[in-house]
Amino acid sequence: MFYTESICIETTEYNQMTVITPQVEEIVSRSGIVDGMVTVITKHTTTGIIVNEALECLESDISTALGMFAPEDRPYSHARMLRDYGSTAGNPTGHLKAMLTGNHCHFLIKDGKMVRGGAQDVYFCEFDGPSQRREIVVLVEG
Amino acid sequence: MFIDIHVHPAFFEPINEDPLREEMRHRALDIHKNGTSSLQHVLNQMNCAGLDRLCLLAQDYSADMGTEIVSNQEVRKLVDLVPDRFIGFASVDPRDPDAPEKLEYAFAELKLRGLNLHPGRVELDPCDARMERLYDICEKHDVPVMFHAGLSWEPGTHTEYGMPIRFEDLAMERSGLRFCLGHFGWPWVRETAMLMLKYPNVYADTGVLYFDSALEFYSTTFTEDIPVTWIDRSLRHQVLFGSDNPRFEQIRMAKALDRLGMRESTVELIKGQNALDFLGMKGER
Repeated sequence: MFYTESICIETTEYNQMTVITPQVEEIVSRSGIVDGMVTVITKHTTTGIIVNEALECLESDISTALGMFAPEDRPYSHARMLRDYGSTAGNPTGHLKAMLTGNHCHFLIKDGKMVRGGAQDVYFCEFDGPSQRREIVVLVEG
Repeated sequence: MFIDIHVHPAFFEPINEDPLREEMRHRALDIHKNGTSSLQHVLNQMNCAGLDRLCLLAQDYSADMGTEIVSNQEVRKLVDLVPDRFIGFASVDPRDPDAPEKLEYAFAELKLRGLNLHPGRVELDPCDARMERLYDICEKHDVPVMFHAGLSWEPGTHTEYGMPIRFEDLAMERSGLRFCLGHFGWPWVRETAMLMLKYPNVYADTGVLYFDSALEFYSTTFTEDIPVTWIDRSLRHQVLFGSDNPRFEQIRMAKALDRLGMRESTVELIKGQNALDFLGMKGER
């Protein structure tokens, strides 16, 4: 059995981490699936899904670490006019950070609830904001 | 006060209720895959860039298209929705016999604050008689003109009409008319600098990002193609921050401006005061 729903987010910052655990848990509950697995997938190439502890200090450290991997000032090949868009691609760092975080996460479902550690939260990560209509697909299987 | 003098609102949600009109805009501007922007999203972008106000430009080539890309009424509608953040510019097609009446209405009734023209798209010299009659109205109302100058990415545009030297007669003959060479007249940025040096009524905006990242291209254009000292010492009262959004990226361009090595006071002029002077809003800060 499959059940899917989407979470839509409007981001307000260039780089932004948003906890989406409550929304995912609500979707799991609505699915009616008792035993199985939930997958959370972002639909965008400059966003990521990560699982970590929801602390302000860690958000800062994660953001700094990603910025060290993909600093703004490097001479990226992606910084150019794109004919298909008719506009400049200025978001290579977003693509690289998204590659590092990955686009999805999984959790087991047991007795109708997500099985997650006490420190585990699901984050949606924006790396090229502000953006509107960011869509995250939640797939529940059982 | 930080003002973006050069914004095309073609894909702002409140004026894209008709999907056919949105599709027309994608084709006419050759901008794709961007969707439309809610006003909240526009304000979020402004906040990230540190921008206080945007100048929204109407675009009218209706003599051959049959409709405006963005009409004066649509700009008025957007300004009315966020009056403390948006400033409206009119546009008329100079080839339209009714253009003077439409422009008079845009200034007198719609209270728009400038005129936007694209000589390369309408294939008219800046001193063509059909343009001159519009300048009379601008001077009467003491409002400025924004010209597309230099390269234009829009389909059907002729770059030679955007050569800065073509605007010299206008600068000379109408010293009371303030006008801006959009995109700094790129690639002829030295010509643009020459005109600005000679004619104080000539302004130029920074809406140019055809290669590389914002910081890289700004560095090439404003510290190598012309030395940054030219702006910082001589042209500091005539350069306006403009992004040409949505063609180019507003947030990174705004940040790049801070890093070119100009005096802080020059950057402040470019971000705000020069635009107020250009718009004839000297009393505001």
